[in-house]
Amino acid sequence: MANCTVRFMLGNHAVAHAALEAGVAVAAGYPGTPSSEIIEYIFEHAGETGTYVEWSSNEKVAFEVAYGAALAGARALVSMKHVGLNVAMDPLMSSAYTGVRNSLLIITADDPGMWSSQNEQDNRWVGLHSRIPVFEPYNPQNAADLVKLSMDFSSRLNHPVIMRLVTRVSHVREPVKVCGFGKPIFASGYVKDPAHHALVPANARLLKGELVKRWEEVKALVEDLPHEYVDDGSTLIITSGVAYRYVKEALEDLEVKASILNLVSPVPVPRKLIANAASKADKVIVVEEGDPVVEFQVKEALFDEGVRVPVYGKAEGLFTMVGELTLINVEEGIAKVLGVDTGRVVNHQQAVNAPPRPPVFCPGCPHAASFYELKIATAMARVKPVFSGDIGCYSLGINPPFNEQDLLTNMGSSIGLGMGVLRGTGGRQFIVAVIGDSTFFHAGLPALVDAVYNKAPMLIVVLDNRYTAMTGGQPSPTQVIDIGAVARAIGVKHVYTVDPFNVNEAKETLRDAIEKVKGGELAVVVMRRACALEAVRGRGALVVKYTVDADACRACGICYNLLACPAITRLNNGKAAIDQAACVGCSVCAQVCPYGAIKPLGEPSGWLSKWGEL
Amino acid sequence: MKLNIYLTGVGGQGLITFASVIGQAAVDSGLRVTVAETHGLSQRGGAVDVHVRVGEAHSPLIPMGGADVVVAFELIEALRALPYTNPGTVLIANRRLIPPAFRGRLPKPEDVEAEIKGRVAWAHFINAYDYAVKLGNPIFENMVMLGALFALTRVRELISMDAVEGAIVKVIGKAVQENLKAFRLGYSVTSARL
Repeated sequence: MANCTVRFMLGNHAVAHAALEAGVAVAAGYPGTPSSEIIEYIFEHAGETGTYVEWSSNEKVAFEVAYGAALAGARALVSMKHVGLNVAMDPLMSSAYTGVRNSLLIITADDPGMWSSQNEQDNRWVGLHSRIPVFEPYNPQNAADLVKLSMDFSSRLNHPVIMRLVTRVSHVREPVKVCGFGKPIFASGYVKDPAHHALVPANARLLKGELVKRWEEVKALVEDLPHEYVDDGSTLIITSGVAYRYVKEALEDLEVKASILNLVSPVPVPRKLIANAASKADKVIVVEEGDPVVEFQVKEALFDEGVRVPVYGKAEGLFTMVGELTLINVEEGIAKVLGVDTGRVVNHQQAVNAPPRPPVFCPGCPHAASFYELKIATAMARVKPVFSGDIGCYSLGINPPFNEQDLLTNMGSSIGLGMGVLRGTGGRQFIVAVIGDSTFFHAGLPALVDAVYNKAPMLIVVLDNRYTAMTGGQPSPTQVIDIGAVARAIGVKHVYTVDPFNVNEAKETLRDAIEKVKGGELAVVVMRRACALEAVRGRGALVVKYTVDADACRACGICYNLLACPAITRLNNGKAAIDQAACVGCSVCAQVCPYGAIKPLGEPSGWLSKWGEL
Repeated sequence: MKLNIYLTGVGGQGLITFASVIGQAAVDSGLRVTVAETHGLSQRGGAVDVHVRVGEAHSPLIPMGGADVVVAFELIEALRALPYTNPGTVLIANRRLIPPAFRGRLPKPEDVEAEIKGRVAWAHFINAYDYAVKLGNPIFENMVMLGALFALTRVRELISMDAVEGAIVKVIGKAVQENLKAFRLGYSVTSARL
């Protein structure tokens, strides 16, 4: 095509661009690493195409927005990280029963290795569970190709399709051929069809039968997808997704020959194609990122088709079941089956070793101030809380000196698990639930309703930094909906809103709230101050930085030990110093210094009130 | 032909921009290239790495022991990168130690440098941070390091200086003159010491 060009792009951007080329009309998602850049990219270009795009309050709502659009007959996609799909499972299961009128592309970005996640679930299982086919690309160009293919596949069958990405496709940057955007395909109107769109049991029973039939159709059609097959020797290696890349390089490095069959659809696998290829092989190796999803299906298919050939893969412990595949891991597995040596020598012996460097709160992060104040306030009130934590930048409160994230399991869990610990200890345990603003709206709201409804005496601290910060500063509902007003409307009697940059006021507010909880009541404290990264972006010139007066500093260590701001360093004499390049002028260290040794380099109130407007 | 460049540093030091410039320049020079990045939680001042592979590579990740070049934006992270090196590796390190949030003894910079020198074919240390500050902003540190990379390694045989400078303009887009200046400074001070 004339209007096509090769661009160096992130995998997620390639996915989004391809969807816009294919005429996506409605796109929705909730931010989550490694998926966030897909919706961000669509936001950047939606104005050019007329596509409707939204950041939804959570993945279930995002799914429903895209699903509803597809039921109407629009071309829709929904995007989220792997664990987000758990939140969306309810409508997802239904979408297989109802089918859709145009195409519904469900994008899940899995995080093998848990670079930024609480687990490494493999969402290809969801395809088997729901009877929704799963397509899996291996690089950004392939991802762009498969987006178009899966949208066409979806509209051909009127059935949703899942695209499974992983970190090493989403966050890989490579040249990609991009073309002009297509006209978004909206529905001209919604045609009522309750027999297919309203899942009362009588309808659902009939639709289950249709689904089972449609799944057979899917199984037949996946045979004709553009699976890549290289016929080169009696060992057959079956791959899916990024594993294909590791296998190609491993074979080159090992200087061995093998046939490779890379599957476009790990769910359902093309059974006939596999049986044909395997019948020519004397052994089969399955390499895939995540769980042995393909391997189990391959074994089943070969058993059913009467092809007797040994199959090796993750189920045999050949490749790692924990963490990402690596080239070395894939080489070792293949070498073991083929009886060759990898010839690799990796020297891990070091006389001087690197100390760990965990992620930390940014300089001027309002969460650090809040955790400091919460620690002091609970200590002064002589309560020994369980800090029920949640998912966001504030998860870093798990680290010293804070140690204020005792439980942390899933989005919105802080309030629910906190109530569970409260009930499980017969009401004896003092509970502080700590939750961010985006997480509060995502899954904290129903839990807060429960806390009011079932009268749970606990302290809920909402760290409202005005953004969905951890995933790159996407907007959050808090920018238009006041969390304090929401809590009051739900029926919380004791609701406070305080700025964590006013240290004394914040401590006093928390003390007050703690007393209410001691008295058997529920209290909500909204600690409101915008993310430092977002505050400084484009406003760097306004920042009034702070500095330490070395003569006044008595080396007490309160600033660097209790705030742990990365801009504050401990000098050899125990005194503090502030890195001027890193300081963003939050003023909190100056407030906690008992000797008044930390001073602003100018009048700070203008900057702090500007920041406070966010 | 395959050139594996392993980047390592601390979240916020501009590794992704650095890698994007090389990647864009490689694409503009008609080369294959793949870049694998770290995003998300680990960016918050944590250790980050980026894998850049120019040429005929398939895997998005460089294997341990497989880096032809290591560019370390920080000394402790240079140490952490050593498993990616082999006796033929060229390692370029920013002579800057950013203390991690770690309560324990930190290795001495001179011990770090000695350890690195004993492990690779050639180690080069540059005060990129100081040069960047002289140019007005530590943010230019990454372009000083890029200049050093081009002065020291065979990447220059694959990608011309013009291609890199073009990529700096394309990828970074803002403070272009300062970024180009930082790149040229990194190149000239490193070349002068050879």
